[in-house]
Amino acid sequence: MTAIRLRAGGRPWRPGAWAGSVIKTGGFGLVIGLIVWETLGQTLRYTFLPPASRVAGRLVDLVTSGQILPALATSLTNLALGFAISLGFGIAIGLGMGVSRRLAASLDPYVNALLTAPSLVFAPIFFSIWGLGRQSIVALIVTYSVFVVIVNTSAAVRAVSSDLHEMARSFDTSAAQTFRWVTLPAATPLIFTGIRVAAARAVKGMINGEMFIALIGLGKMIQDAQHQLDATTVIAVLSIVVAVALLLITAIDRIDMRLNGWLPRTERGT
Amino acid sequence: MIRISGVSKTFSGRGDLLDVPALRGVNLTVGDNEFLTVLGPSGCGKTTLLRMIAGLIPPDEGSITVNDEPVTGPGPDRAMVFQAFSLLPWRNVLENVAFGLQVRGVAKAEREDRARRFVQLVGLAGFEQRLPRELSGGMQQRVGLARALAVEPTVLLMDEPFGALDEQTRRLLQEQLLRIWEETRTTVIFITHSMEEAVLLGDRVAIMRPRPGVIDDIVPVPLERPRSTNVDRVERSAEFVSITSLLWERLRDMQVELDRREDPADDGSRRGTSLAALGGKEGGE
Repeated sequence: MTAIRLRAGGRPWRPGAWAGSVIKTGGFGLVIGLIVWETLGQTLRYTFLPPASRVAGRLVDLVTSGQILPALATSLTNLALGFAISLGFGIAIGLGMGVSRRLAASLDPYVNALLTAPSLVFAPIFFSIWGLGRQSIVALIVTYSVFVVIVNTSAAVRAVSSDLHEMARSFDTSAAQTFRWVTLPAATPLIFTGIRVAAARAVKGMINGEMFIALIGLGKMIQDAQHQLDATTVIAVLSIVVAVALLLITAIDRIDMRLNGWLPRTERGT
Repeated sequence: MIRISGVSKTFSGRGDLLDVPALRGVNLTVGDNEFLTVLGPSGCGKTTLLRMIAGLIPPDEGSITVNDEPVTGPGPDRAMVFQAFSLLPWRNVLENVAFGLQVRGVAKAEREDRARRFVQLVGLAGFEQRLPRELSGGMQQRVGLARALAVEPTVLLMDEPFGALDEQTRRLLQEQLLRIWEETRTTVIFITHSMEEAVLLGDRVAIMRPRPGVIDDIVPVPLERPRSTNVDRVERSAEFVSITSLLWERLRDMQVELDRREDPADDGSRRGTSLAALGGKEGGE
């Protein structure tokens, strides 16, 4: 049966293999989810559960009409600023706490308190300082994402095997050499676990900030649509937000693989 | 020349635990180019002694000098090989071997050149680009050995380097270590649990006893060198057998005496520890 061959040099087409690869990539769950959503949407006809096909149509409208682009650009700028600040401060403070027991002891209560506190409660504070400006949203993104970076980074540094430190010391390394050649590379995988969680939280902070502090960007689109009871647009915009989060996490995973490829697969968090 | 005089060390117990006397009044001199093996049950302080010579921990009392220089910390004259290998898992073989040279600021091209020579010396040519996890335990420890040798130390400190390996691998590495030592002739202090290993490798065997750690006796090993080319014959020779059985007598007497010293009214947990120490001679700690 030469007819069922994929492209030149491709393997024979087997439905089983194709289904297998779909299941592996998670596409299977997505397909089932979309079917269930579409069916429920079509049969129940609730205002707040539009069927998948209608949301997809709205998504196409939003993109082709050019409505989404300025909002997306605004939101992405907020996200980039907030997430970058979180990474910079989070990793720096976390490394400091990992290395210095005294710093860890004095900052631990604050970091843990702020990690568990619902970040949105800080919104009024930022609002009173910066008003409706971009700074308020960026600050909110930082409070959403910085603490998980700090906690993971300092734990990562403290978890580095003392055997490796002793080995380094036996070669008479300076503190800076040990840090650069032993502590930092050994801690990187666990630091990335924190960065991945922080990315998701930063996106959450972005959308909350745009919905509840200053009405701009994607958050404003959601808020406006909600006021008009336009569930289709709400879900369409939300799906863009989710896509942004997934893209960000995929990018982080790429960098993670690049830096931490030495870890065997079984020991990876992903 | 390594001179250890009157060295004592006590590890302070945490909380309610009692202080642990690790070493008391240890005196020992190791000559240039000598291969000294240190034998003793778990908890006799042999690793503590080695770490003090390495400069990783200071003695409470007494002094240690290497080539008449007092040891105040780690130094370029000494290099250590670890029981757990302690390779950097993100570095390949060549970069691991070059670590000590990198610490000393040797330029990249030169340190890789030198590292390559030592990778060859331990028989790992062709594996330069492999990561540690892609190697067997024996190969990993050869990387550890090459890393130590690459800084060309006058004293090589080996802390039960073959303790974590299986018997065949261990035998091959013993042969290889003998061959390398016959070529490089550094001073070696080699800690082991195994009597056979102690005799096969050493010029002298220092026997240590625990609680507190002291050197019980030093037994000379007058077996002829080089031994690397005829390990099997050496191990079957009458001299080898008589030295190992002498060591066994010493260790057994020590153990019996230690067991007797235990309070019979004790809850038995300490007896358990000393039995474990005896059994630990073949395996790891």
